[in-house]
Amino acid sequence: MRKKSTQFRGVPVSRRQALWTLGAAGALTAATSLPVARPARAQAQVTLRWWSPQSAPAQLAAYKFQIAQFEAAHPGVKVNFEPTSDEGYPAQMAAAYASGEVPDIVTHIPSFAVASYFDKGLVEPFDDVIKAIGPEKYYPNANKTYEIKPGTFTGTGIGNTAADNFWVRKDLMEKAGITQIPRTWDEMRAALQKMQGGGIYGAPLPFARNSATSFVVTTLIHGAGGQMFTPDLQVAIASPETEHAIEFYKSLRELCPPGATNYSWGEMITGFVSGACATGYYAGRVLANVNTQNAAIADKITCTLYPTISKDVPQASVNDFPSVFIPKGTKNLDSAKKFAAFLFEPEGYIKQLLAAPGHVLPVLKTIGENPTYLADPIIKKYPKEVELMTVSAAAGYNLGFESAKHKPNTKSVDIIASEALSEMVQRVALNNENAKVVIGDTAKKLEAIMKS
Amino acid sequence: MTTAVLASPAGPRPFSLQRQYALLGMLLIAPTILVFCTVIVYPLITAIYLSLFSIYTPTLQGHWVGLQNFREMFGSAEFWTALRTNVIWTLGTLSLQVVFGVGTALLLNQNIWFRSLARSLILFPYFVSTVVAVLIWRWMLNDVYGIFNHALLQAGVVDMPVDWLGRMPNAMTSIILIGAWKYFPFVVIAVLARLQTIPPQLYEAATIDGAGVWGRFWDVTLPQLREVLVVIVLLRTIWDFKEFDLIYLLTGGGPVTSTQTLPLLVYKQAFGMNSMGTASTYAIGMLLVLLTFMVLYLSRVGRGSEPT
Repeated sequence: MRKKSTQFRGVPVSRRQALWTLGAAGALTAATSLPVARPARAQAQVTLRWWSPQSAPAQLAAYKFQIAQFEAAHPGVKVNFEPTSDEGYPAQMAAAYASGEVPDIVTHIPSFAVASYFDKGLVEPFDDVIKAIGPEKYYPNANKTYEIKPGTFTGTGIGNTAADNFWVRKDLMEKAGITQIPRTWDEMRAALQKMQGGGIYGAPLPFARNSATSFVVTTLIHGAGGQMFTPDLQVAIASPETEHAIEFYKSLRELCPPGATNYSWGEMITGFVSGACATGYYAGRVLANVNTQNAAIADKITCTLYPTISKDVPQASVNDFPSVFIPKGTKNLDSAKKFAAFLFEPEGYIKQLLAAPGHVLPVLKTIGENPTYLADPIIKKYPKEVELMTVSAAAGYNLGFESAKHKPNTKSVDIIASEALSEMVQRVALNNENAKVVIGDTAKKLEAIMKS
Repeated sequence: MTTAVLASPAGPRPFSLQRQYALLGMLLIAPTILVFCTVIVYPLITAIYLSLFSIYTPTLQGHWVGLQNFREMFGSAEFWTALRTNVIWTLGTLSLQVVFGVGTALLLNQNIWFRSLARSLILFPYFVSTVVAVLIWRWMLNDVYGIFNHALLQAGVVDMPVDWLGRMPNAMTSIILIGAWKYFPFVVIAVLARLQTIPPQLYEAATIDGAGVWGRFWDVTLPQLREVLVVIVLLRTIWDFKEFDLIYLLTGGGPVTSTQTLPLLVYKQAFGMNSMGTASTYAIGMLLVLLTFMVLYLSRVGRGSEPT
């Protein structure tokens, strides 16, 4: 049998030789691809990864400015911004921690999430950074939600946000013959009924399985005078107050757009800003968005605290306390701390705050009193609304910090991520299930999460 | 064989040619086996291993629970509901994909105007990113400014906008239809390729025998497509059964858990409940279901193809 051969640059090569050469080349390629075979390369520079769910175009421009300033002041350090989302961050953080590829710094996620991560040993203490920023510059008690153990801070606030303002269209109220902004739920429902019609809905409240629905139901349970947990964190959601809240929420379904069953934060703000709804539930970003996207109603809007079941129950704000923290596992701790402190340098911090004026409110009184900050046209145009949000946010609460008496609830992010609260709303409002039974089921779910 | 190597009694015994070929074969197949083990065997064993633990996802710390996760899974109403939803979704969208796909392939096999252009354009839904497709569909189905509701309202068909994605059965119907739209081009490509290889003489003979359009389709086209349809149904069943992104982005599994399929449940357990052990158990459960389907289906196909 004749051996098959071919020519390679004039040299005859047998099939066997060719196969051996191919095999050897493959083995060599595989060997050189293995990480162990690769010589360790000195890292030329430090690259910081910065995550935030706040990434509107104006905010991105402000971040770009802050990054450029920091990189210029710290040669050899590069910062990459990576947007996450309000709905997606729990899953993304969990995956980042599990893979060991954590970002070096995270901003704008709620303080209760930071407390949860700290409880699991997943957050670097932040005391050095607060010292570098200057504790004396903060508003009083601005860092109370981050002091998880006396003297130990898990992070700091990059701002305050009053998440649940009750936005109203004054022109539609006037047209409907409503003279005062509703204070109680009955007044609110009656007002929404009067204003709904002609293609305009009462409110863009969400009925979806997401964090937005969980936030709204938190507002309503507190607005009914209830709590989800006792101050020592026993589950207390199974109460008449929760039943009232859920039944009220359900009664608003017919006053919301049909697609509200899929609404999240984006649809909620768009629903009000676009003029599709007469009222809104949102933070201060409404001010900037109305002025840029629907200027025709810019002079016809105002906000107040969300109504409660009766005048006996005081109004209050849900503040998600947008945070800054450094995840455990960062490979660039020193640089991350320097960058975290740098975020509060007045020039960049003011630019960042004014990228969404009224939405993220300053935690440093030195910034709140700064003429450059106060000179912003939106801040000047809506002084009453900004003042209201500033004061109410500072005195606000959230699921991780239900009242001044409550211990920090380090399971809050697990509760939000489990969708137990939003499922409770859906089962009652969409499936017409018995509220008492559903709330009982939800209490059991919360108890299981608290024990996990 | 002219290249046989003879053993030398004096020196060390060299490898025989057969052994050299065997070694060469092993060397050549080694990268494939390495890749197979890395991307299939290792994750599978890891998933089985994790399913025996209770593990907190962010830290990957946990403790041994043995088969408790499996007992809880089989006793969980949520698992069975998700499985039922998964079957409804898979059967619904697969049936439509096959019907639309075969119909479109038959049309594109005809001598129609702009056939080449149509053949290219038909692939668009399949190639467009799922995220982009979902954004477009959500936009079109929006209650306030979506074109569907706008058209229905203008035509006086409805008084109020329809809630396409937040109510049952609308949500399930919508995801099934959008899934069919997204993936039917795969059926078109495969069926069209097969249609072009069917000998025209078969149709001529059938016509001479008096077969009409329907008869030619039923007695010539369909038997010729049988093998390719088996492959299509098998592949698409597997792909549709484990579909995640389309459903997650369209409905998130809602309303409540009405469109929550097993992949969404796995995701919820892994990253919502931070319970990686339970998530791995559900993933193994899903694998078992798929394996059962595959074995049943393949045995049925095998029986059907045996000579009688």
